[in-house]
Amino acid sequence: MKSKKYSEALLNLFKKKGFKVKEFENIIESKIIIERSGEIFKKSLLSFEDDNGKNFSLRPDLTISACLDYIKNIKRGIYKYAYFDQAFRRTFGKESLVRNQLGCEIIGSSNLQSNTEIINLIDQSLKKVIKYRTTIKINDINIFYSLVDSLKLPSRWRLRLKRHFWRHDYFKELITRLESNSDLQKNVFELDKKFYFKMKKLKKNEKIAGRKINEILNRFEKKIKEPRSNINGARVAQIIRDFLNINCPLKNARNELKKFEIKNKINLKLNQFDIFDLKLKNKNAMFSANIGRSVEYYTGLVFEIYKKSKSLNLASGGRYDNLMQTLGAKTKVAAIGGAINYDNILKL
Amino acid sequence: MSKLIKIGLPSKGRLREDSLKIFKKNKLSIKDTKRNYLSEIKNFSINEVVFSHAREIIERLADNSLDVGISGFDLLKESLPGIQKNIQVFSRLNFGFANLIVAVPNAWIDVQTIADLEEISFEFKDKNSGKLRVATKYPNLTNDFLLSKGLTQYKIVNSLGSTEIYPFTNQSEIVTDIASSGATLKANNLRILKDGNILKSSACILVSKKSLKDKTKRKIIASLLKKLN
Repeated sequence: MKSKKYSEALLNLFKKKGFKVKEFENIIESKIIIERSGEIFKKSLLSFEDDNGKNFSLRPDLTISACLDYIKNIKRGIYKYAYFDQAFRRTFGKESLVRNQLGCEIIGSSNLQSNTEIINLIDQSLKKVIKYRTTIKINDINIFYSLVDSLKLPSRWRLRLKRHFWRHDYFKELITRLESNSDLQKNVFELDKKFYFKMKKLKKNEKIAGRKINEILNRFEKKIKEPRSNINGARVAQIIRDFLNINCPLKNARNELKKFEIKNKINLKLNQFDIFDLKLKNKNAMFSANIGRSVEYYTGLVFEIYKKSKSLNLASGGRYDNLMQTLGAKTKVAAIGGAINYDNILKL
Repeated sequence: MSKLIKIGLPSKGRLREDSLKIFKKNKLSIKDTKRNYLSEIKNFSINEVVFSHAREIIERLADNSLDVGISGFDLLKESLPGIQKNIQVFSRLNFGFANLIVAVPNAWIDVQTIADLEEISFEFKDKNSGKLRVATKYPNLTNDFLLSKGLTQYKIVNSLGSTEIYPFTNQSEIVTDIASSGATLKANNLRILKDGNILKSSACILVSKKSLKDKTKRKIIASLLKKLN
């Protein structure tokens, strides 16, 4: 009953702010998800095959369902979704296959106003319904990307750090590898170099296992030009770790980051970020450089809401400006959304 | 409770021969039936020897239709967690050695490590040519390994045999496969990545955990394992 009371109250508050409560299709074609996420998400899908060999899955996530609904039915303009329904994922521990997901999304808008709107809506609605004071943690993952761009690193390492920012454990492993300064294996490299001269004589457009000779040679040359031994991996790793430890009130964040720039002689290009201009109703807003790293598709602003007296996560969300296109939208459609951590709310 | 112990042995090839040898060496005489898939150890407590596919031995141990068996460690690790949890590895044996590895075409000289592969996988994605395809007979072990090493943008192509030729017949770009000496890979213009060792495997003696819960069977199994050790 507590569950129904909370969900109805939250959805009503969302509706009052112009969000449309929607129900989504239960089944989606697995290809749509596998094509964008690869094998990593495939393991979690509850899938089945029809008589024609086509693979379908129970919807694994309602943000994805909202995006697919927009692509199919709305197509253009700003649309505000609210939903409370079940998502289904294969689990490997004691977790349930069925997850209750309550959330809201603004699809089709890229401005600061929609960022503020989503955070304020979720935070204020929670406050009204559960009657506890909350703390908001905010971050923009592009500040991390800007940090990586300002560091002296080979381009392939920059890409690697950005791509795996959302995978905590593997990211840690990458930082350790960065410290150890071991990248190329000399003897193998010398052997490859011999092969390189042989390959230079081959036709450049010929393909070997899906890759053109030209492509292979170019990448090999690039690796020679950008040896890892030229960088101070330990220092770079320390800067990254220090950055991820930045945690301060949002109103002080610009100054803290400026101090960090001066200390490490880097330029984070802070003027391009509007996170410092968010007009939040909740004054307990913190900047935390380490949050928003659990969802691969976030592209900018990310937030997490906690019960103030305990570190209990109540909601989280973020901006996902590239997701729509990878799910099949013909043009780029910016979007932001957030979901209530419903199981934690029921614990209160 | 039944005193009958069911023993699963590989039905084909070197694994069958070497398994029979280990019984013989330990003075357990199995009637070699050549064509019949059922036999027994003549000088041991009531038993039945079933010759099966090595993969099937794992499944039958998990559902307890076999009590003891010999199969590959790679096959056990490839099976689903729900199957593995019902099987105990008694000992690794001194035969059936094989490594599960990641191999790329020799001509991919710019790819030395899985980290390189990870970059290549994004190139495949960005060029809209789809995902990097990995041919394998071991999809579960391959997925666990590649994901732990940071590779996410790839697609598994299930292979039943001749996996080594997949990259050159446009069925996949790279492979993961069993290699013992590496000669087959070399003959097929493939090379193992520096950090591409997924699993070191050998034959092993496996026991169904459910059988161990039965007091009578546990005693008989213990005596059999003692003789084999």
